[in-house]
Parts: sequence; structure tokens; C-alpha cells
Amino acid sequence: MASEHKTGDGVVSRRASLFRRLREHRWTGLLVNVAPSGFWLVAFFLAPLAVTFYYSLGRSGAFGVMHLGLSDLGLQQYAKLLVPEGASGIEAVWISLAWMLEGLIPLDIELTTAQPTAFMRLTVKSVLIGAVATLVSFLVGYPTAYYIGRIAPERYRNLLLVLVILPFWASFLVRIYAIQLILTADNLLTDLMHLIAQALAWLPLFTYNGNLMNSRFAVMLGLVYIWIPFMILPVYASIEEIDFTLQEAAMDLGADRWQAFRKVVFPLSKPGVMAGTILVFIPSAGAYVIPALLGGPDSQMVGNFIADRFNKGDWPLGSAASFVLMAVMLLAIAAYQRYSEGGELA
Amino acid sequence: MSTVKRLRSRLFARGGAAIAVEALLVYLFLYLPIVVLIGLSFNDSRYALVWNGFTTKWYRALFAGETVARVNPDAVFATLANSVHIAVVTVVLSTVFGTMLAFAIDRYEFPGKGVLTSVVYMPIIIPSVVMGVSLLVFFNMVGMQTGINTAIIGHTAFDISFVAVVVAARLQSFDDSLEEAAKDLGANEIETFRYVTLPLIKPGVLAGALLAFAMSFDDYVISVFVTGSTDTLPIFFFSMVRQGVTPGVNVVATVIIVVTLVVVGLAQWLQGPTW
Repeated sequence: MASEHKTGDGVVSRRASLFRRLREHRWTGLLVNVAPSGFWLVAFFLAPLAVTFYYSLGRSGAFGVMHLGLSDLGLQQYAKLLVPEGASGIEAVWISLAWMLEGLIPLDIELTTAQPTAFMRLTVKSVLIGAVATLVSFLVGYPTAYYIGRIAPERYRNLLLVLVILPFWASFLVRIYAIQLILTADNLLTDLMHLIAQALAWLPLFTYNGNLMNSRFAVMLGLVYIWIPFMILPVYASIEEIDFTLQEAAMDLGADRWQAFRKVVFPLSKPGVMAGTILVFIPSAGAYVIPALLGGPDSQMVGNFIADRFNKGDWPLGSAASFVLMAVMLLAIAAYQRYSEGGELA
Repeated sequence: MSTVKRLRSRLFARGGAAIAVEALLVYLFLYLPIVVLIGLSFNDSRYALVWNGFTTKWYRALFAGETVARVNPDAVFATLANSVHIAVVTVVLSTVFGTMLAFAIDRYEFPGKGVLTSVVYMPIIIPSVVMGVSLLVFFNMVGMQTGINTAIIGHTAFDISFVAVVVAARLQSFDDSLEEAAKDLGANEIETFRYVTLPLIKPGVLAGALLAFAMSFDDYVISVFVTGSTDTLPIFFFSMVRQGVTPGVNVVATVIIVVTLVVVGLAQWLQGPTW
């Protein structure tokens, strides 16, 4: 009896010591923690992206048949998306670049007979729509974040924050539908929006044909409505951390309110602005549901192009478009971060 | 002093009030559409947009199982069940895995940590339409039949990231000496985790789980590519909205809004602030 007990103890302690040794080995805990999610992300996130890239190199035949053999692979889908018809090589690059610049600043560049592809126009339009939605979110969201973080009485701050986040928990589709309800109605509010849409019509990006629904104005409104909390929250977080005695110091040294804001407060809130800008820009430029429900034929975006190719069975072209979209976004974000003097995401 | 400067300093002198008004307008902007939607769901009119007096007849019809203004209640409740099924399994998987991942990122230094962190951020910043189509292509290639299970797999893939980011934020403010104290007082690894670590990070984990539920329950873009012929509530709702604005759609929309807000509110009330 006694000896049996001893053996049992011995087994237990040997097991315990093995367990302890495993636990104390620094890699074990790490491996255990990383393994499940690492597997999931590699198998169901990175691998699908890799497979999609592979498809983007293939060719699509009739009746949704895909040619993915070694001899079929090439960059033909990317060429179809990006190379203007009737142009080749360096000329194609020049035409595309000239056209994109032309879209941003009117340069009166004489384009040759070749025109940029429909996909390029769509991509540039999507980036511009995303950028404008981000800018509007910033212009409207910054003062709100400033109000919550600096002006509102402290005991209401949490409530005000919750009120910004609450719509985010309410269904995305339902909120887009609510915007649709407002836009299709006919009352004082819609009259006001007609006026705004009309005033915006002189901008190259907007068109106004008397309708609010199925317009770029509707898409823009939807984007700002859905994503503005993503601007307000990070900006608020930055503003809350600012030591406002610095502002007082600036004013004691002779700065007026505007100078104190521009030279002291705003730079200190920049990390939040950076994060908010990226958080709003990415889903806006890559939007799919909002243009599908609120936009007309002229306000579909690159996300709709991708989904459309897949619905019509041209997977290689849709896959290639996905990768171009991701590349464009990464470039836009990299350029923005560099331009904004190396701010950091989140 | 130039006119511009004078105007500007005047504006800034009254800046507080101006900003307060601006903030008020933003709150109006955020809530007005939702209020209008809920209001119109009680509208006694065949035309969803023309106010014709208060009624609850659309709700009564929906819950009695009658088809109201082209909305089929059986389909609503069937797709609701699918959505809840997918969201619940997704929340369990992504909360456990995402929390573990957050621990790995917060507590360990290892080669490749930078790469891992950027892979974790990627599902958050990649457009969802791209994630949706890539999963579709992948499931097609490996020969998996799309349906509820593929939806769970896809939703978990992006929810892990959201949970990991939220929990990692909570872990950053975690005081390691509390765990050491527990161990000094004789607690083993599991007891320390159960009685010290978990309670301290619980708000973060709960917020992550709630976020994961909302993201999964609400997802349309990824689901539409990976659920095959199984409809979820957002997919069903999308096709209803495509067919036009009707009192039936208003009622379903209001029910969705109220249910999600009640769930969030309940969690909030039970657990303290979750954001």
C-alpha cells in the first residue's frame, strides 16, 4: 500500500516536472498561444490570397471555364485592366500617368487616340471618392472629437462617446437602408440635400441630375455616415491625451487662439488624425455595399467591378482587379504616411 | 489687423459654442435616419414613405407569420437562425484564438514578431470584397462545398484579428506584478490565470467577443461569396432592399436594430463598459 502510494507520487512529480520544464521553456507558451490562430490565418487568409493571385495569372474561357495550366499563366489579366487599348509598352504607361494627373489637376494634356481602360477610370474614381469621403469625415469629425475631448463637461464625456459608437453596433445594412429612406422621401430635409447636391455639382467628381438617390452624392453621404465614428474615436483619443497647459503657454507667449491651435494642439492630435484617415479611407475606397444600394450606374466603384466579374464567372479578371486594388491602397497609404512625416498607424 | 484675422479671432472667441453646435449637428446626422426608420415602421400606409397615422399592424402581421408587403416571415426567421448559428460559433472560435494570439504578441519577443503582427492587421485593412472573393476562390479550389461551415471559417479568419487587437490593447495596461504576486502567494499557473489574469482582461475579452459577434452577424460582403445557397439575415435583407422600400422592410430593419442594440446594452449593463 505504502509503496504503491510512493510510486504514484513519483509518477505525478515526474509528470509535473516535465510539465514545468515544458512551461519554463520560453518557446512552448508562445507556440501554444500562436498555433491555432496562426494556422487559421495562414490556411484561411494568406492561402486564399495566394490562390487568388494564382487565378489572376490564368485565363478565363467560355462558360466559366478557367485555364490555369502552366502554359496559360501570364500577366494578360493585368494588361487587360491597365494597358490602354491600342497602346503598348512605355506609351501605355505614359498615357495612364498623364490621364491620372489630368484627373487630379487639369493639365490640358493632349491624349493620343488611346484612352485609359474603364477599370483605370473606375479605380481612380474610387480613390478620389474615398479621399473626399475621408476629407469630409475629417472636417466634420475633428470638431466633434474636439468637443467631446475638450469642451464638453467631463461627466458627459463617456455618454457622448457611447453615442458615437452606438450606431456602429446597429446593423450596417439597416443604416444604409435608413439613408435610402431619407433620400427617397420628399420633405424639407431632402430639399436641403438637393441644394447641397446642386452646390457640389460644379466639382468634377459630382453630378447632379435632379435625383438624390442613385447619385454620387448619395454614395458620399452613405460613406461619411457609416465611417465617421472611425474618424471621431481615434482623434478623440489623441485629443484626450494632450496636455492643454501647452496651449495656454503658447497663448501666454503671444499666440492667438488660431495660432495656438495650428502650431500646438493640432500637431499633437496628429496621430489620431492619421489613424482616423486610414480607417475611413480604406473601407471607403474599397466600398461595395454602399455604391450597390445608394449609387447609380455612374457611381459604382471598384469593389462593384470585382464582385461583378465574379458573379459573371470571369474569376481571373476579378482576381487581378483585387490585387490591383490592394496595391493601389497600399501605395496610397504609404504615400500618405510619408507625406505626413512618418506618423504611425494606431 | 486684417479683416480675415479679426473675423478669425472672433470666431475663435466664440469657438466653444460653434463647436458645440457642430457636434450637435453630427449627433443629429448619426441618429436622424435611424429615428425616421423606426418611426416609419409604425406607419399606417402601404407606401413606406407617406405618413398616414400610427399602427402596429405590420409588427403583428410579421410575428403572426403573415407575409407583409412582400416580406416572407418564414424566410426572415430561417435566415436569422443561420446568422445566429454562424455568429455564435465564430465568436467562440475567434475569442479563444484571438485572446491567445494577443498574449503571444504582448508577452513574447521572438523573431518574426513584426511579420506576425502585420499579418494580424491585414484582415482589418484589406477591403472585405477582396477577402470574400479570395475565400470563394480558395474553397472552390480545395473543393469545399460552400455553406454555413465555410461562412464560419471565413468569419473567424477576420474576427481573430479584431479580437486580438482589442485584447492586446487591454493587455498593454496590464500590471505584470499582479501575476507575480499571485504566484508568490502559492497560486499555480492555472489558478493565476483563472483568478488574476482573466478577471483583469475580461472587459477586453468581452469587448472583443461582442465586436466579433457584431462583425459576423452583420457581415454581408464576405458572406455573400462564401455561404453558397444558404442565406444569412444580411443577405436576405439586402435582396429585400433591392426590391424596394416597403413597410415590411421597415419592420424587419427596426427589429434588427432593436435586437442588436438590446444585446449590446445588456452586455454593457452586465459587465460594465465594454468599449
